[in-house]
Formats: sequence, C-alpha cells, structure tokens
Amino acid sequence: MSFFGFDTSLPRDRGHQSTAPGFGQTHDPFAGLSQRNVSANDEVLDFEETYDGLGDQLDETDDAFNDDTFGGEPANQQSVGKDFDFSGQTAQIADTMKEEQMLYAARQPPQRQPSPPKKSTRPARTGYEKYSEPTYIPELQANASLWGMAPRQPSQDVTESYHRKHSEAVPPTSNRKMMSLEEVEAMMRAQNNLKSTTPQPAPQTSQPQPRVEQAQLPIIPPQQGPHPQGQFPNFSGPPQILQRPQQLSEQRFQQGARPPPQGDKQNQGVQHAQVFQRQRQAPMELVAHRSQHTSTPPGPRRTPQPRQILQNPNRLSGHGQPIAPSLSRPSHQAHLTGPMHARGPSYPGAVVTNPQQLLNLSDEDRAAFLAEDARRAKRNHKIHMLSLGNGLMTPQDKNFITRIQLQQLVTATGGVDDQDPEAALTEDFYYQVYSQIRGAARENPNQPANHFAQTYLFQTGGRYGLAGRRHPRGGDNHMQRMEQQVQRAVEAAKAKPKNKQLVIEGSLGKISFSNAKTPKPLLNLKRTDSADVRPSSAGRRPSRHAAVLDRKATLRDIENVYSDLMAMEDHERHLPPPLNENSDPESIQQHMEWRHTIQDLNQKLWRDLKVMEPIVPNSPVPHPFIAILSHPKGKKTVPRVFRHIDEQQRVTILTMIVVHLDTLDVVRNALLHHDEPKLSRMAREEVELFAHSVIPSLFSYINEAPLTIVIGLLGLVLDRTNIQNLVRTKIGLSILTMFVSRAEIFKQSSAPGDLTDSDWEQWLQLYNKLFDIAEPVLPYIFPGSVNDTEDVYVWQYLAAMGVGASPEQQQRLVLGVKDRVMETVNVSKALPPEIAATRLGHVNLFMRAIGLDVELLG
Amino acid sequence: MLFFSFFKTLVDHEVTVELKNDISIRGTLKSVDQFLNIKLDDISVVDEVKYPHMSSCKNVFIRGSVVRYIHLPAAAVDTALLEDATRREAAQASARAKQS
Repeated sequence: MSFFGFDTSLPRDRGHQSTAPGFGQTHDPFAGLSQRNVSANDEVLDFEETYDGLGDQLDETDDAFNDDTFGGEPANQQSVGKDFDFSGQTAQIADTMKEEQMLYAARQPPQRQPSPPKKSTRPARTGYEKYSEPTYIPELQANASLWGMAPRQPSQDVTESYHRKHSEAVPPTSNRKMMSLEEVEAMMRAQNNLKSTTPQPAPQTSQPQPRVEQAQLPIIPPQQGPHPQGQFPNFSGPPQILQRPQQLSEQRFQQGARPPPQGDKQNQGVQHAQVFQRQRQAPMELVAHRSQHTSTPPGPRRTPQPRQILQNPNRLSGHGQPIAPSLSRPSHQAHLTGPMHARGPSYPGAVVTNPQQLLNLSDEDRAAFLAEDARRAKRNHKIHMLSLGNGLMTPQDKNFITRIQLQQLVTATGGVDDQDPEAALTEDFYYQVYSQIRGAARENPNQPANHFAQTYLFQTGGRYGLAGRRHPRGGDNHMQRMEQQVQRAVEAAKAKPKNKQLVIEGSLGKISFSNAKTPKPLLNLKRTDSADVRPSSAGRRPSRHAAVLDRKATLRDIENVYSDLMAMEDHERHLPPPLNENSDPESIQQHMEWRHTIQDLNQKLWRDLKVMEPIVPNSPVPHPFIAILSHPKGKKTVPRVFRHIDEQQRVTILTMIVVHLDTLDVVRNALLHHDEPKLSRMAREEVELFAHSVIPSLFSYINEAPLTIVIGLLGLVLDRTNIQNLVRTKIGLSILTMFVSRAEIFKQSSAPGDLTDSDWEQWLQLYNKLFDIAEPVLPYIFPGSVNDTEDVYVWQYLAAMGVGASPEQQQRLVLGVKDRVMETVNVSKALPPEIAATRLGHVNLFMRAIGLDVELLG
Repeated sequence: MLFFSFFKTLVDHEVTVELKNDISIRGTLKSVDQFLNIKLDDISVVDEVKYPHMSSCKNVFIRGSVVRYIHLPAAAVDTALLEDATRREAAQASARAKQS
C-alpha cells in the first residue's frame, strides 16, 4: 500500500542490479524486458510474497481530518490511495535526460561517424533519439518555467512514440515470470473492490495505448486497471518529489496559468500526483487519475535510481555523471532496434542512417555531410560548454534571485522602468543637473537602474529569442510576459511596506535590513523633532550661548532660504505651456494655480530672508538679514534670490544692505590697521565672495535704477554710515563707485526731459558731501603698499568721482592721490612690460577721467 | 544615492583612491556603481616603492568598502550644485524618517 506514492517495496524485493550504477545513466526502458529474456527461468512472484504487510499496520480509523487535508469525498478504500504515478515522471527529469544527451553528444567526437560500421560498438541508444523527432524541443521547459509560464511538455509525445516504437520492436513477453508493481497494485485493487475475480495480469504492459483512450482517462473508472503502463518505466516520481518539492509548486503554478491540452493528460496526471503529495487535490481528478498511478513497471533497473537520489540529492540537478553512459552502454548493446543515427533537420541532403550510406555518397555530398557533421558536433560541444552549469539552480531559485535583484533596483521614488525625469532628478539630482550644465556625457543619462534592467531584459531576451526562432509566437509571448513579470515584481515591491527592522522576540538587538538605496543605518538615534526645545534650556545662560545660538539660528535661516529657493526652482520647471488666445480653460486654470503657488513661495522666501525684520538701532545683535549675509553661503544666495524676487523686493534688499553697510562683515572686518597691513585670508575670501556674488546683483539692479533711487541710497549711506571707514574697504568703495558712476551715466545718457534740475541739484549736494567727507582719507584708501596690485577698484572709484567732479574738486583729488600715482608710475618702470602696462592702465582710468594721462608724467 | 550620483560625474576624470590599507592608487575613473565599487584604468600606485604589488596592473576594480578616501579633481566638482544636491538628499532623508 503506497499511500503517499512511496515505493514501499523493500530493497530486497527490488533487487539491486550491478549494471545500473545509479542515476544519470542512459536509461533504457527495455532493460527490464531484456533482463527478463535472459533470465527466463525466474519464477513468478506472488503478491503475497512481495507485500510486506506494512499497510496492515496503518491505523485506518483516524480519518476524520482527511477531508480537510485532501478535500472532497469521505475517505474510503475506493477513493483514497492509489493516486500515485511512477511512470509519468519523465518530464521532471527531462532536463537531466537532455543533459545526458548533450554530454553524450559532446563526448562522441565527430570522427566516430565516418568510421566503418560496426554494430557491436554502437550503444543501445545514441542519445539522439529525441532529436529525430522534429518537434522535440529539449531546452524549453526549464527556461519557460523561470517566468512561471505553463511548461511545454515537449517530450511527451516524443518519448511516448519513441517508446511505442521500441515496444513494438521488442516483442512483449507472453510468458511472464515476474509480476510488475502495477500488476501487484492492480491485484490489490481487485481485492479491494471484490469485483473482478482474477487480478489482471497486465499483459499489455508494453503495448502502445491509443491516444484517444488516454484522452478519456479521466472518466475511466479505477477498476479498469493500469492503462498507460510502461511508457516511462524507468522513472519513479515520488523520491524526486521528496527531494525537490519546489518543482511541485512550480508546476502547479504553471498548470494554473494554462490548462494543458488534451494530449497532455498523461503528464497532467503526473502533476496531479504531485499535487496530491502536497495535499491539495480535487477529488474528481483524484479518482480520474488513480488508474494511471499504478502503472510503474517492475523493472529492476528502476530501483537503484531513487536510492541514489536519496543518497546524493545534489546530483539530481547536476549534469550527467561522466561514468554513467559508458557503464550503462555495454549492457544494452543487444538492443539495437531503433534508428542508429538521428540526424537533425539541418542537413539538406539525404539522411544518413547508416555509415554504409556514407560510402555510397558522392564526394561532394560526403564532404557536405562531413562538414555538416563537424559543424553540428562543434555546436553540440558549444551547447554543452554553455550548459555546464545547467540545472544547478532550480527555476524557483532563479525566480527568487530575480525577484531579489528587481527589488534592489526598485527605488524609493520609482522602479526600473520609471522613465519619469522627475523621479530621476530626485534620485540622481547631482548627476542629472551636472550633465545638463556641463554638457551631457551620454545622450541618455538614464539611471543605472534602468541600465541594469535593460541589460537584464536583453540578456534573457536573447535566450528566449533562441526559442522564439523555433516558435515565433512563443518568443514574443515570452518577452511580453517577462516584461509584465518585471512590472509586477516592481509594483509588488513598491506596494510592499518596507519593514526596516526586525525585532526578534527575546533578543537584545534589532536586525535592520538594508539595500543599496537605503543602507543599513549603523546608528539609530531617536531625534527629537523640535529643535526649538533647546533654546529654552539655553535661556538660563543667555550670555554664554547667545552668540552660538545666534550663529545657529542664522545658519538655519540660510538653510530655509535655500530650501525655499529650491522649491521655487523646482516649481519653475513645472511651468505649464504658455497661454495663447485659444487656450482651454483647463490650461488657464493651470496657469492660475502655478502663479498662485509661485506667489506663495515668493512670500515664503521673503519672510525667510528676514529683510523686513525691524531694524533695532545700536543693537549688539546684527539684523537677521545682515547676519545671513555674513555667512559665505548666505552671500551665495543673493544672486539666486534676486532671480526670484520683484523690483520692489530688490530695492528693499539693496536699501537694507546700504543702511547696514558699515556693519557688514566685509566692511567691518576689512578695515586695515597700521599694525596689520594685510587682511587675514578669511576676510579676503569673504570680500572676494561678496564682490563676486552680491555686488553684481546689486550692480545689475542699480544699472537700471532711476536717479531718484540712487539719490535716496546715497543719502542713506551718508546718513547712516561712517564714510571714512567705508572708503577704506573694497566693498564700500565698490558700492560708492556704483552709485556715483550710475548718476554720471544717467546724466550723460538720459534725454534732456528725464533729468529734472531739482533731482540733479539734490545729487550734486550729496556728491559734494561725499567728496568732502572722503577727501581727508584719500591717501589711505589704497590697500597695502604700492606693490599691491589689487588696487584697480580704487582707481575705478577715483575715476567715477573724477568724472563728476568740478575742476576745483579734480585738483583736490589729484592732490590727494598724487603720491600714489607717482609711486605706481615709478614702480611700474621696474616691472615687466605687461604688468607695468596693466598697472599704468589702472592709473590711467583715473587720469583720463580728469583729462590727464600717465604719459604726461613720464 | 548622492555619492553615486556624484561619482558618476567624475567618470573619465583622474582620481586618486586611497584604500584602507594605505595604498593610494591614481587612475582614470571608468565606472562606479551604487555600492561605490570603482573601476580604474591606467593606474599607478602613488608610493610605488613602498607598494610594488601593483606594478604590473593596468586597471583595477576596487570594492567600495575598502576605500578610505577619494581625491577629487577640484575642477570637475560643482560645489554649489553639490551643496544643493546634499540639501535635497537631506530633505528626502528627513521626510523619509518622518514617514517611518
């Protein structure tokens, strides 16, 4: 009684055959038959002898939960049991067979072919038998199942017809000496049912069964006995099932995906048997297929194989064992009934089935044949080399790994096939923008994730392309399904909530998972979200922490400004297409919304800049906006901020800067003292940064500002700041130059009507005031000594002042800087011509402005 | 992914990779992946006298985890952009932290 399909016959009953070394040998379904011929004097085994009585020890009463387990009908002797199939397992080890064939083909050098015909050296099977069938597709099954597709059951008809052919060739033994297992089982059934008086001797063991009958199998009552016997006599499934349960679910899944055609009933039976092992079987099918599962022949060659599997399960999926064919071959030499050479269809000439024919061919044909043969052998060898690792992983393994890889590729924002540039920008901001700025290195700067996915798809696509060549429709399907599969996997991974940690009950630590995108956090700190908590505690000691807090607050302000800026820049990219007269309401609406949002963002930016904070005179704490400007990254915001704000806001900022000009760090810290003739490096860098980032923005605004604004600003400077300090700094001078030169340019370029006399009067007053205040310090506005070349801004200022000066003022100017001019001219005489020219050019900026030239001094 | 994104822009620039075993290898960055594994071409070891092991190597693949520093070509780094990218990354990280 083999309830779960175990082979319950004891090893002593099976009898070990020394010529069957184990799994992987070239199986010969007729070895048993031949054996029978040889040892014809064996007596008939009686069932009672072979039956070990184990079944009687089974407790048959506790069947209460069998329904739950197996479903369906109440368990009784009729409906339970015999759902095993020892014969239909060929499909399961089809790949092993194939590998055997590969191996065999690769091992047989092509020289073998033209050798003189020598029947006795031929093995019983060449391994090519299957290839003689044009429909035989050896490799497809494993490949297809990788993607969970319904398996083709290729070898079904092929092997069947093959076996049928052979069974016709080998006459069935009429006088049977040994009972096969199916006979035994048939006998059991007969006893159980108490219907048939005699057990069926199953003489049809090796007789071919008509296909029609197979198709009807499901409705044949179980008593009808073993039908499709002897078709796959060498393979008994159950041990395999026990070894590799993954294959079951695989096949079940495939079955669900596509019901196999009628012709595959036999194999379906196999799968049902497997399903039964997994205890999920519809009762109807259970009954229907029971008949099939009794069909394992008694062949003694069958037995060693499962045992080998159990002993060494790893070998099951490995490619063939080297010794197997050579060992098994000699024992089959007597059975040379099938076709000797199974030629592939590629050879166009006559099919050579016998080397004798080769001799009869013409020279050309023979050459063609040999060339073809060599080519094929080479190809076989190549295939063999490629397939060395075949079968090491089950389809399930591959599926598993594929899924892992796909999940790795799934990012927080998008998947492998996420072509959205927005997502790309989020994930890969630096690269994307950098390549836009510096000229794209690649035409398609897609994510490596994409790249990987492409590679991945391409690779497998290639493999399936091979199959698709033979089955054009199938190939397309593969690709489509594969893409769908990828998509589904990606979506599933996206949908799946990411559990970042695993706390095992009773353990002390947490296990955190990581992937490439979110690396495992080595430190897991609980951060209090409110950064404002600390000021309260710091409030106790304000004196000590005020400066630090101030600095931190300022830095935070700057970061807020930056995030506002980035939000605005992001928003700008989403600008909807421009409107025209016939824009539909929807796009107008879009525009409205867009503008509304940009307005909001602008307001937020304006608030965060803190320009409008009230000015506290004489406060020890600088104004927040000025504090922002005191940091390098605060200075860097100015050009970006200016792009996003309107005129009114710009002039407000400018005013703010001007009012606080002498508290700006670049002015405050840039004052030179006598004991310290050079600025510190940091101060110099700050000044440079300010000059490069802030001044141009201000300058571009001032350049278009009306005179009234310039007048107002200069007035503020004169009122609120210490001009004598201001003119001794680069930034101060630059800003003053800006104002003065703008007024001068305005006077020269404006139409007569624009410039009202009162305005100009006002300007002149301010100018004179500035001149008077600055005149005493004129000798000191130059940085460093004469040898300091960085004095061009001073000459620019002097030039700006000189242009607008009255003749009397010009004279005072010259008097003030005369020493410096002379020194510079003298120094430049000793300098190399180029540098000298530059320096004199700088001096000339001023000299020409007042109508002189350094040449006159020379 | 910031570092990955950043190093991708340095492809075909010359960098010096300082390994955790103190060997410094200068070479042209050929590729980098998300684990910051690095492929260098035309390599030379900075202190070749002290570390002659690599004298015959033309190119190397360096596992990301063994890298201590990478010396960058300053001209190929857009600091402002890098700052912004960092801000974005930080914003994303904090948004993610709030989610979970």
